Amino acid sequence: MTPTTSDRQPPMIDASACAGCPMHNPGQLQRLGVDMTDWDYVIALAGNPNVGKSTVFNALTGLRQHTGNWPGKTVTRAEGGFVYDGARYKIVDLPGTYSLLSTSLDEQVARDFILFGRPDVTIVVVDATRLERNLNLALQVLAITDRAVICLNLVDEAERSGLLVDDRRLARDLGVPVVPTAARQNRGLDELLAAVNEVATGRFVGRPHRVQSQAAGVGRAVDELTAQLATAFPGLPNARWVALRLLDGDESIIRAVRSGELGELGHQEQIMLEVVR
Amino acid sequence: MDESTLSFLDRLRPLGGWLSRRQRARERRARIDREDALKYIHKTEAKGRRPTLEGVAGALGLTLDEAARLLGNMQTAGLLVDSDGTPRLTAIGRDSALHIIRAHRLWERYLAEETGFAEEDWHGRAEAREHELTPAELDTLAARLGYPTHDPHGDPIPPPDGALEPHGGTPLAGLTADQAGRIVHLEDEPAILYAQLVAEGLSPGQIVRNVTRTPERVHFWTNGDEHVLAPIVAANIFVTPLPGDEAATAVVGRPLTDLPLGESACVVALAAGLRGQERRRLLDLGLLPGTVVTPELRSPGGDPTAYLIRGATIALRAEQARQIRVTGEEGRRGVRERGKAFTPAPQHPFTPAPSSPSGVTNDADN
Amino acid sequence: MSVLATDGRQLSTGDERRLVTDGPRVTPDDILQTAARLRREVGQGFHEQLMADMYADAAQLAGRAVTQPGEAQRFDLDRAIDRIVTSRLWGFPLMILLFTLVFWITIAGANIPSQWLSSLLIGVVYPWLNSAAAAIGVPGWLSGLLIDGVYLATAWVVSVMLPPMAIFFPLFTLLEDFGYLPRVAFNLDNAFRKSGAHGKQALSMMMGFGCNAAGVVATRVIDSPRERIIAMITNNFALCNGRWPTQILIATIFIGGLVPAWLAGFVSAAAVVSIAVLGVAFTFGVSWFLSRTMLRGEVSTFSLELPPYRPPRIRQTIVTSLIDRTIYVLWRAVVFAAPAGAVIWLIANVTIAGQPIAVYLVNFLNPFGLLLGLNGVILLAYVVAIPANEIVIPTVLMLTVLLTGASGIDSGAGVLVQTNSNATILSVLGAGGWTLLTGVNLMLFSLLHNPCSTTIYTIYKESGSKKWTAVAALLPLAMGLIVTFVVAQVWRLVGI
Repeated sequence: MTPTTSDRQPPMIDASACAGCPMHNPGQLQRLGVDMTDWDYVIALAGNPNVGKSTVFNALTGLRQHTGNWPGKTVTRAEGGFVYDGARYKIVDLPGTYSLLSTSLDEQVARDFILFGRPDVTIVVVDATRLERNLNLALQVLAITDRAVICLNLVDEAERSGLLVDDRRLARDLGVPVVPTAARQNRGLDELLAAVNEVATGRFVGRPHRVQSQAAGVGRAVDELTAQLATAFPGLPNARWVALRLLDGDESIIRAVRSGELGELGHQEQIMLEVVR
Repeated sequence: MDESTLSFLDRLRPLGGWLSRRQRARERRARIDREDALKYIHKTEAKGRRPTLEGVAGALGLTLDEAARLLGNMQTAGLLVDSDGTPRLTAIGRDSALHIIRAHRLWERYLAEETGFAEEDWHGRAEAREHELTPAELDTLAARLGYPTHDPHGDPIPPPDGALEPHGGTPLAGLTADQAGRIVHLEDEPAILYAQLVAEGLSPGQIVRNVTRTPERVHFWTNGDEHVLAPIVAANIFVTPLPGDEAATAVVGRPLTDLPLGESACVVALAAGLRGQERRRLLDLGLLPGTVVTPELRSPGGDPTAYLIRGATIALRAEQARQIRVTGEEGRRGVRERGKAFTPAPQHPFTPAPSSPSGVTNDADN
Repeated sequence: MSVLATDGRQLSTGDERRLVTDGPRVTPDDILQTAARLRREVGQGFHEQLMADMYADAAQLAGRAVTQPGEAQRFDLDRAIDRIVTSRLWGFPLMILLFTLVFWITIAGANIPSQWLSSLLIGVVYPWLNSAAAAIGVPGWLSGLLIDGVYLATAWVVSVMLPPMAIFFPLFTLLEDFGYLPRVAFNLDNAFRKSGAHGKQALSMMMGFGCNAAGVVATRVIDSPRERIIAMITNNFALCNGRWPTQILIATIFIGGLVPAWLAGFVSAAAVVSIAVLGVAFTFGVSWFLSRTMLRGEVSTFSLELPPYRPPRIRQTIVTSLIDRTIYVLWRAVVFAAPAGAVIWLIANVTIAGQPIAVYLVNFLNPFGLLLGLNGVILLAYVVAIPANEIVIPTVLMLTVLLTGASGIDSGAGVLVQTNSNATILSVLGAGGWTLLTGVNLMLFSLLHNPCSTTIYTIYKESGSKKWTAVAALLPLAMGLIVTFVVAQVWRLVGI
């Protein structure tokens, strides 16, 4: 299916001159800083280290989180808020990680929030100049949730080094909205918010691309476990991913299966879908 | 009178406190002997040999009298039965032995994955720790480690209620000169011989070639390095022979440290010596078989070298880079063929891109 | 322990049978059993296969989306900069030049605002507070406690700490935002590797020259557990901002005084620098020691990304580094300094049998202090100055005046004092029985003692471990006691 949001975006080159000005306030954005009472939607902000995640966070919330040019700067998660289109959003800046599959503390914090924190939207900030490396994380997030928006950041740097990223093609391939931005110049944030809003309100339902394993034995094992999971927890949105994690011996997922917490995730998702319809 | 009052009184009488401490230590010693004996008998049976009183005494460092008393006690406790002078494990004895083996191997795995202790320290630490762990603690440990199936020496870790599978290898000396084999197991006892294997850089998973032997020495090659070991040391290496075609296509490669600055190569394998968090970190960074790496900068001190890996510049130390094997000029073909395993299967929704832009895919040869 | 060995495969067949009879019911335990069985079937390489699949897809998707219409860039600026800043020839000189510049700007730039702040807070506000308190009839003990104690200590810390930090941290942050600091770690990693530490420790150490608490926070960029703890414990050996004034003052008075006036400035500066270099040597030595003893079993990994250079955004950098680092560190220091001020005032002004408590304490500590080539006053000053190193010298002067009744200091006894005249200070300290040995050992002890309470608290928060916090607090103290003791004994033996 074709994500409508990204098709509507104006090309980056046409971005108006005042978009680069720090005083420019895109759309109906109202920055709330740390005032996060009674939010309507929760957004998680994920991404590799050093891709401008904190810059996106600061641009949206008006907070001044330190954004060093240092891989792995945000160690604890930061939270902020904003109002867009009449809805109050809480946004959580997750630690920058290369992956969600390992057991380092950062990765666990990020992974657990996306899975158990049930954010309404997960924004994955990717570096347009190193797309391949960054898509690895994006694919891992898409394996967990279909409520995601890809923020294709640093397109200005990509342009400077002569790279053109076809965001529409990427959006079609990934099955979720892809929004080109240059957060340092405040470019593309309005479109990002519009896409987030579409996904949060359920007007856009993602059909994310999911990785298929190449090894024959693995495929069969995953299929068998996925089938069992689907029977035990109907409505689980990411049974295949959970199966992969179980096979990999992921302790916190095993705990979630045993305690039945995983079943609640599926239950929630079903209610959400009914409300949307 | 509760326990704390008792121990308080105990401490008031120095002699009594000393006696009961001594008593406890003696009981502990007896338990450890019992468990070590179970382990020894289980291992001997698994090798298809006949456990003997002398063997137990030798393995545990006991006199024959002490060993005889120990085995007698174990028979009374229902751990052993005597069949024609040979001690045999009962069902309970076998379970106890498996528990100790499981504890030992899980703990070794834990030391390898989640601590920084040196490889030659693992066995000794596990020997001490195996007697302290309860089955429940082992389950917790196994869960934390992601339910590993093998210990770092290549031995299977018995499941909680399961039987022990053999490692399935044959001694290295069984290979002929034109046969290749894969190391499946390194015997970690006695420690002094194992330390030599570690020093040679051997680890399970490596491919062994060109084994030749004389009565004094065993010669063989792994990863382009020649090894010469005394037969008694080589006898602790166990391998499975590789089928001919696999042996032919297996790319040995060269260490990443051999790659000159500015030259690109494909990763062939990450050696088993990269383990635990370190290995996972490298995988996260995108260092996988098939990845193109290019050394770009060398630190003024000569050691860390910065490599271009999938678009990012990442510095690695020589001790890590040495364990990453990349294609040489002659080996590239092999990996290009292996690389096919990583392109999507036919049912994949994509058709290949019409033209592959340079600098973005992991295609080295543009 | 179960007696029967059961095979996972049999169990799950049993479950499937039950599934058929009971309808579609699968319990979590069934799933975990199946997973356990399949896990053994798929084997060890599973995780790696998973990563390989992910990256293969990522490469495919990226290949479809990215095109490079023009020619590849002819000139790669990042690489060109990297070739220079990491070159054998230019790498180290450039690094030394840049950091010398940063420190010089900090020291030179902080001097004037520091004096200005101190004359405002202590010269203007302090007398005004006193007269205001007198006017509204605040009892003497209360105004003493609050104004002479709490206010004066806090004012001292603010005027000494704020200006250098407000200059140092933004400069440092600019280098960080540009992307230069990871290159420093890259250049220095070889030296740190040999002592079992991480190249990024160079940066937390550099940050420690500004403030140890900030340096400990900066160890966050070290992602290897063992090396991060090493960096936290050894950060205290980087001579922090609060200790520079002590070093400079003592070096000027005692060591500068040994040589002709025209050489004095150079010699005392050299003395201070050699103490800082000694601190770096201790950093390496203690790192080496820790990684081979207490920290042997901790996990150690290494990877260091060299991110692309980015032009720093100066205005935003200054604002964020002021908020994130300067104000944060200053606030913590003030929180700890205020109660210390109260304690100092109390021990100097509460009397027992006609003598201030401080006198008893000093007399008690004196024999021990002399054994270390120090004295009771210095030890007491370091006990009460655990919260902030900045107030050591004012406390030492105050206690000496209190004990000896030396004159020449304008404020009354029992109040933290300041004076700009080195001659006055020398005469006061001389009256207190100070010698060259006392001066040298004070410089050593100022480098080697427990971190300030702000830093200890930060280490606890960052490491989450009481054990490592205790090591970080006690190890440098023990080393300081040993070093000063040995120096004092050798000094007296040689009979200088």
